[in-house]
Amino acid sequence: MTGTAAAVLLALCPLLLAGGFLLGRRTAHPAGRSDVGSPVEHATFETLHTASLAAPPLRAGLTEDTARKSARRLRSLLGTDALCLTNRSTVLAWDGTGEHHAKQVMERLAGLLSTGRGAAFDCGCDSVDCPLRWAVAAPIVVDQRVLGALIAYAPRDSAVLARAADEVARWVSVQLELAELDRSRTRVIEAEIKALRAQISPHFIFNSLAAIASFVRTDPERARELLLEFADFTRYSFRRHGEFTTLADELHSIDQYLALVRARFGDRLAVTLQIAPEVLPVSLPFLCLQPLVENAVKHGLEGAVTRSRITISAQDAGAEAEVVIEDDGVGMEPEALRRILRGDAGPSAGIGLSNVDERLRQVFGDDYGLVIETGVGAGMKITVRIPKYRAGVHSSPADHDPT
Amino acid sequence: MHRLPRHRTQWEIDEQTTLGAAYVRSLMRSQLRAGIAAFAVLALPVVTMPLFFGALRNATVVWAVLGFGCYPLLVLIAWWYVRRAERNERAFARLVRGADPPGTP
Amino acid sequence: MNEAYAIPAVAVVVLATVLIGGFGLRISRTTSDFYVASRTVGPSLNAAAISGEYLSAASFLGVAGLVLVYGPDMLWYPVGYTAGYLVLLVFVAAPLRRSGAYTLPDFAEGRLESRQVRTVVSVLVVGVGWLYLVPQLQGAGLTLQILTGAPRWLGGALVAAVVVLAVAAGGMRSITFVQAFQYWLKLTALLVPAFFLLLAWHRDGGAPPAFPAGPELPSSGAGTGQPIATSRADHPLYATYGLIVATFLGTMGLPHVVVRFYTSPNGRAARRTTVFVLALIGFFYLLPPLYGWLGRLYAPELTHAPDADAAVLLLPGRTVGGIGGDLLGALVAGGAFAAFLSTASGLTMAVAGVLSQDVLPARGVRHFRLATVLAMTVPLGGTLLVSAVPVADAVGMAFAVSASSFCPLLVLGIWWRRLTPPGALAGLILGGGSALAAVTLTFAEVVRSGWLHTLLAWPAIWSVPVGFLAMILVSLATPGHIPPHTSATMTRLHLPESLTVRQTAAAAEGGGTGTRAEAGSTGTREGP
Repeated sequence: MTGTAAAVLLALCPLLLAGGFLLGRRTAHPAGRSDVGSPVEHATFETLHTASLAAPPLRAGLTEDTARKSARRLRSLLGTDALCLTNRSTVLAWDGTGEHHAKQVMERLAGLLSTGRGAAFDCGCDSVDCPLRWAVAAPIVVDQRVLGALIAYAPRDSAVLARAADEVARWVSVQLELAELDRSRTRVIEAEIKALRAQISPHFIFNSLAAIASFVRTDPERARELLLEFADFTRYSFRRHGEFTTLADELHSIDQYLALVRARFGDRLAVTLQIAPEVLPVSLPFLCLQPLVENAVKHGLEGAVTRSRITISAQDAGAEAEVVIEDDGVGMEPEALRRILRGDAGPSAGIGLSNVDERLRQVFGDDYGLVIETGVGAGMKITVRIPKYRAGVHSSPADHDPT
Repeated sequence: MHRLPRHRTQWEIDEQTTLGAAYVRSLMRSQLRAGIAAFAVLALPVVTMPLFFGALRNATVVWAVLGFGCYPLLVLIAWWYVRRAERNERAFARLVRGADPPGTP
Repeated sequence: MNEAYAIPAVAVVVLATVLIGGFGLRISRTTSDFYVASRTVGPSLNAAAISGEYLSAASFLGVAGLVLVYGPDMLWYPVGYTAGYLVLLVFVAAPLRRSGAYTLPDFAEGRLESRQVRTVVSVLVVGVGWLYLVPQLQGAGLTLQILTGAPRWLGGALVAAVVVLAVAAGGMRSITFVQAFQYWLKLTALLVPAFFLLLAWHRDGGAPPAFPAGPELPSSGAGTGQPIATSRADHPLYATYGLIVATFLGTMGLPHVVVRFYTSPNGRAARRTTVFVLALIGFFYLLPPLYGWLGRLYAPELTHAPDADAAVLLLPGRTVGGIGGDLLGALVAGGAFAAFLSTASGLTMAVAGVLSQDVLPARGVRHFRLATVLAMTVPLGGTLLVSAVPVADAVGMAFAVSASSFCPLLVLGIWWRRLTPPGALAGLILGGGSALAAVTLTFAEVVRSGWLHTLLAWPAIWSVPVGFLAMILVSLATPGHIPPHTSATMTRLHLPESLTVRQTAAAAEGGGTGTRAEAGSTGTREGP
């Protein structure tokens, strides 16, 4: 092979690369269409989105306030010079020019309000400056009752505007109907949250707030931080979606819990953590470690012990994660513990332990129940094993962005 | 205020409706297209190079190209792909929610 | 080679590995350090860990040895080892992480909702793991023999013992830090001597950086992997394409690689991690070609020796000489042992995990230890029984099996909704099974020459299409078996985290706006 041939072949190399690159670009940007939307399409969506902004105010019902807020959006939707919203007795909002017409509106609506049929009328305005000559009124109907009317004004009569006003009024009606639905739904959700609140011990809430209050004077900065921790902790505990969480999120919530506990007990409680980062993405049932830590804190600080130490460790063990929660507190009679885990110890004693044990077994199988080592005066060590993967166990991923 | 799902499309996807499946399919297609593009840019030279080297019979060129020249190219393709894939995901999030997700760089 | 330096170097590497592994995270932290303690592993650290585990004996010793003997065409190996991550990135990385699977059997079960597929994948994972472990142990034996003259089996047994003890005793607790450390150690162990070697080359007059011609054919005789060498010489183009297909498509299915992706906090981080991995191993692979070239310049007689894999170990002594050469040689030896230890421990963990979960009957910590011993015993037996195949070639065969079974499973599983469990089984068994059989026959030297041997030694070129075709055709023929939750699984695999996470925030926010809205409407009711 001669040198020139080699040079030619070498020159071909970049050409080939460029060809591949162009091919790649063509496949990546097919002309004219994209699966996730071209800029034009995005612009359309944004317009539609802007139009939908009129909806939220209406979803709180038809009042002067909400009518004023939505009238502006509805007018830009219809593209008219003026738009008026009324209820059955009075004008709620006027948007645009020619507000002097508002006085006569209600007289013109008598027929509409009784029959529920749309109407069009000439304004009969004397003012030369006023551009409004013609109006179309459409009823707002919820549950077959006429709640009010939407009136659009224009310089001259227009079939398009009449039709558009009718459609917009219909849409407003639907929004108001949904507002009715919303109100009943809110009541249901509040009942749910009340039920969930029962999961967190009221004592803990009172004690935490008392501890925070004690810092308000002496150390306002600390009190502020603790309040934020408290807010975060309760938000996590009250969250309503999903049965599973990640170990990272659960540990984070435990950290906040401990910060609040330490605010109360100060130096009496020492906490040691050993966390292997490899196991942080592991999925596990929501709120199944926090009760164990709460239990350890309770045992550790019970009795006349002056200082208590709690150790929490999460280790990587092949296809499993191993979480150990250990305290050096008063411990427990093994027989009493057995009763608790069987669930015959009455409602007050360690309901958290049996609940966690049950949930773990339910999700991961009987091999994965709590392992508890304890004795009177010997502290307590709880071991939880969590498989790194189990079909059907998926949490929403960690929301702490690593970047 | 309104209690319906804030992001209707998001809800469709979460609830596995036919509409939600269509959205996910679109995302998959755009991601697959990006992947195939990157793969094509990689495969085209790789398929031809052994033939080319066989014809060239110049050990030094082969040594230089394979030993040192190709790694920056690989990293470059990877970087391009990651940018493209993340852009696709951002566009998809915008499509689903109607606005740029806050907190996405 | 002076063992007075090399043996302490090896001992230090072993000790450092055990210490970092065992004590890296024993340092206690108080709650105020919680954020430090519980921060997820970032892309760069995880990438260093993946690279550290990935750069095995084949990369550290094998590549330079092959280049020295067979010339620069062998550089397709490191290119393939690296480009495999690009293919993994564009087709697999983010969806695999989002699937939440820890191992490949987990992925198979989650996607196809079938225990049978899980079992077959488990068997193949164990097979690939064992295939990959054999050359690691062989490399260790070779290294120790060159350092001390100890018998071949001793080095392999030493690495096996250290790994089993460390893994079974739970000593590899902070595996991410250990493996990241191993990457930088391996890089240093090749980079520093390379620097001095280049200085020596410059001192010697700096022959032009052209690649010297070697012997046209390797010498006959009881050389390493003679049939493979002959086949390669007879059908060089086929061998090259075979190895390209195997390495490009096989990386995504290596058990120890898959497991590390679980550490990434989410799919986006998994993607970025892969780019870092590409950069890190790409940088490392700049060095073996240098060693191969310097080997041709300074130790051409090694091309005839049976143990060309040792070139990297011997070069510093030959080129630099004196105490400096001995010290550099010790550094390289330490790096080589780091390579055996990190890859072997990663593989053993992965194989033992699969064994204890899917193969051995009962569960529990004690069974994991038993599984560890089993995971290491079989490949150790393999090193003693089978004849030596060059380290890089042996690793290439593990890649071929992975490429013909796991690559179709992952790529079709992630991108094709119509994949069915029967289809996956057919592909795994026909593609992966045939590749595994071909590789086993090659190791056993049943066929020693001719086209048949070539086809068996580089099976990927036919077994990968077989795997894909079987999976697609059987899936199309069994449309009634599409798993019921395919749509939900696909959504989970591909939906960006920003959407799933915002849902959480929206729910929390929704609770807030609910209360606020009520207060607002009370206000307006009072108004009129």
